[in-house]
Amino acid sequence: MIGGVRLLQVMSHHLFLLSPTDTPLYSLTHYSSKPTPSTASPLSSNLPSWSTSAFAGTLTALSGASSATQAHHAQAGTVRLGGGQDRHVIQMIANASLDVIEEVMRRDSAMYLKSVDKFNEWTVSAFVTPGNFKFILLHEAKNDDGIRSFFNEVWELYVKTMLNPFHTMHTPIRSAVFDSRVRASAKKYL
Amino acid sequence: MSQHPRFSVLSSSSLSSDHSHVQSPTATSTTSRFSLPSVNTTPTSTTPKPPGQRPNIYDRPLNKTRTAEVSASAFAFLFSEVVQYTQKRVAGINDLERRLNTLGYRIGSRVLELQTWRTESSSKAPKRETRFLQALMSIHTHVWRSCFGKPADGLEKSVENDDEYMIVDNDPPITRNISVPRDLSSLSCSSFTAGIVEAVLDGLGFPARVTAHNTPTAQYPGRTVILIKVEKSVLEREEALK
Repeated sequence: MIGGVRLLQVMSHHLFLLSPTDTPLYSLTHYSSKPTPSTASPLSSNLPSWSTSAFAGTLTALSGASSATQAHHAQAGTVRLGGGQDRHVIQMIANASLDVIEEVMRRDSAMYLKSVDKFNEWTVSAFVTPGNFKFILLHEAKNDDGIRSFFNEVWELYVKTMLNPFHTMHTPIRSAVFDSRVRASAKKYL
Repeated sequence: MSQHPRFSVLSSSSLSSDHSHVQSPTATSTTSRFSLPSVNTTPTSTTPKPPGQRPNIYDRPLNKTRTAEVSASAFAFLFSEVVQYTQKRVAGINDLERRLNTLGYRIGSRVLELQTWRTESSSKAPKRETRFLQALMSIHTHVWRSCFGKPADGLEKSVENDDEYMIVDNDPPITRNISVPRDLSSLSCSSFTAGIVEAVLDGLGFPARVTAHNTPTAQYPGRTVILIKVEKSVLEREEALK
């Protein structure tokens, strides 16, 4: 896969919506292929790329390696996914950032909290609505304005969702329209 | 009386939305009564809608329009039905007030998000309220204005108890047409409003117990006090933030 084929740099974004009691309401993984300079972590070069065992993803993720390549079948063309793209690692990073977010939101009255936390190649940005709903976004590249606009659109969609009398604070959002709107807005800004 | 129309508009649209989040069996039956596509239709949002079908909730703008306002008498009728419905299902005044409070809570959590969206979404850096007194001020003016079309008439701090605050309304619009019988004289239907306030405070992270009390004066027979008893943690936090 590596030999001769030009690898397409794919940035992935992970969005989580959480209720005030931290119940996950919605999550989205978005891939965009905007060119960005990649940063290699010093640890990553020391790790062998043969590792395909069950915990390899976790191991490389924790060390910050992005050299482990995996084929991603859902995307057209050759797509490179770095280490740390495992679902459980992403969730762990998002969860771990909650403590920081709760600390920052007490002091800072802004809803958009940019880059509250960093974990290897991941930066965590958050958006806290007045009703204490949290939107958490894991991203690799710096893109403050795009993320701000993205959060604003998600906020609007979210307010529309919660005005529905059949929606309660802890109902996961399953609306297909909501999902497609969030995806469209992710495509536009991320 | 501007709060009601918003909800009526958005909630009626949600019934017709083919992608609405339907949890309860009653909801399903409501949807089928309007003979719309089944709720489980998979993503078809991009396909053009048949003419005559109402747009789904995500197509409707959140901003207030003048045409969305409904008459005060229509609201008074609705609220009287709410109170009667509730009264048939409770054991006593306390229970009735608690239920009205719960109903108001559902409104309050939405008012908070919607009203903040309306004021803040256009700004470059939207803000939340993080200080307790500012939150109270904003309830006194902004929440009251978006719910009842006017700010409340007073905001007071209790002299006896440190943790008690009061919002005074001389003539609450929602109880204007309610005459409480003598045997229920301690009942205040503004418990509904208390629920709204409780939800807003809860959402902002200031848990409190909110109750409504009649305090008639010669000039204002309908004068009502919304009593806010905040939890200890709120005061401690305010102290720490000073």
